[in-house]
Amino acid sequence: MRRLKPLYPGKLLVLLLVVCLPLLATTAVRSESGESSLGYQFTALAAPVIAPDFTLDDMDTKPHALHDYRGKVVLINFWATWCPPCRKEMPALEALYQKLGGESFAVLAVNQWEDADHVFAYTGDLNVFPTFPILFDPESTISEQYGVKGLPTSFLIDKKGQLVYRAVGGRDFDHPQVEQLIRELLAEK
Amino acid sequence: MYRARPETRTRHMLPGRLKKASLFTALWLALPAVASGVVAEHVNPDTGLSSWKAEGDALDFEFIQVLPDYVRAVYSSRGLPKAVVDKVSSYCVFGTILRNRTDKPLSYRVADWRYITPDGVRHPIRTKSEWVSEWHDMGIAFRWSMLPDDQTFAVGDWGQGFTTIALEPGSPFALEYSWTQDDKTETRLIEEVRCAPAEAPVSR
Repeated sequence: MRRLKPLYPGKLLVLLLVVCLPLLATTAVRSESGESSLGYQFTALAAPVIAPDFTLDDMDTKPHALHDYRGKVVLINFWATWCPPCRKEMPALEALYQKLGGESFAVLAVNQWEDADHVFAYTGDLNVFPTFPILFDPESTISEQYGVKGLPTSFLIDKKGQLVYRAVGGRDFDHPQVEQLIRELLAEK
Repeated sequence: MYRARPETRTRHMLPGRLKKASLFTALWLALPAVASGVVAEHVNPDTGLSSWKAEGDALDFEFIQVLPDYVRAVYSSRGLPKAVVDKVSSYCVFGTILRNRTDKPLSYRVADWRYITPDGVRHPIRTKSEWVSEWHDMGIAFRWSMLPDDQTFAVGDWGQGFTTIALEPGSPFALEYSWTQDDKTETRLIEEVRCAPAEAPVSR
């Protein structure tokens, strides 16, 4: 029978390092799946541009023109009811609106492809009913102008009407850093 | 009521041919791949459906089986015509979630990804643009639900959407996906992925 050569401590240490270090470097695997947490970061756009203007109806068919919001900080959220992270971030969006909404801060939730009846039924099922305007972009023409590739995508518009920040994917809008960012925009002249 | 624990299997993402190499050589060759990410299969105890989640890289990647009936429901409830509903649900559909885990932007391009069938053939994945173009020709402006063709994710950005694989329910394959950061493209292989079955599996 062939005997294995004894391993000397030095060689053993090297072998252990070779085998174990990469394993230690890996991230622990979580067992839960499909539960992506919301982030809070917004990315400053390298070159702020004037936000494309639009006029869209809300659930009561009242038109909302973006240029009427000039002088306010505006958070535009492109969303749909079938999009899981859109649903997940909606309560935090309402909480943010309750906290900062008023004369200087507005939220416009621009729904994609769906109709008012469908969205009204959806909002009725929420624990917190959204009080900010929900607008309808049935042919996705406005989201196209904003370069939105996936839902949800959100933008922050400053008082001058410039697109200044973007967030792709769901966000915890009630996070203190989001609030601070908006307060900084509100403090600008 | 007894509730089954989620079944989770962990597998390092190593190229298949390494299985045939000697252990020592394999360990050395595998170092970068092992150090850069782990993929785990998870079985949802409520639905019996599987998902594969790769973490530890700059890009978190999750690939979730979707039943054909669910796909039909999603598209039917959007008011899309039967021809669209039938065609999309004839594909093997996965919910795909991507997330930038770093403090630098990264980008992906679905056109660079491949699914590899057991015969070793590498196939391109049908892109969102191809679907949207087909729907546009049918006079339909719908352009949502599919994973965008390409995206650059800034810090904290993430996204999701359907990925469609032209295979029958239950088919096995390997998935090769990639992303680019700082002009360097990283590629990963998830082996032994399976399409969702034709009907809901029995919950465990």
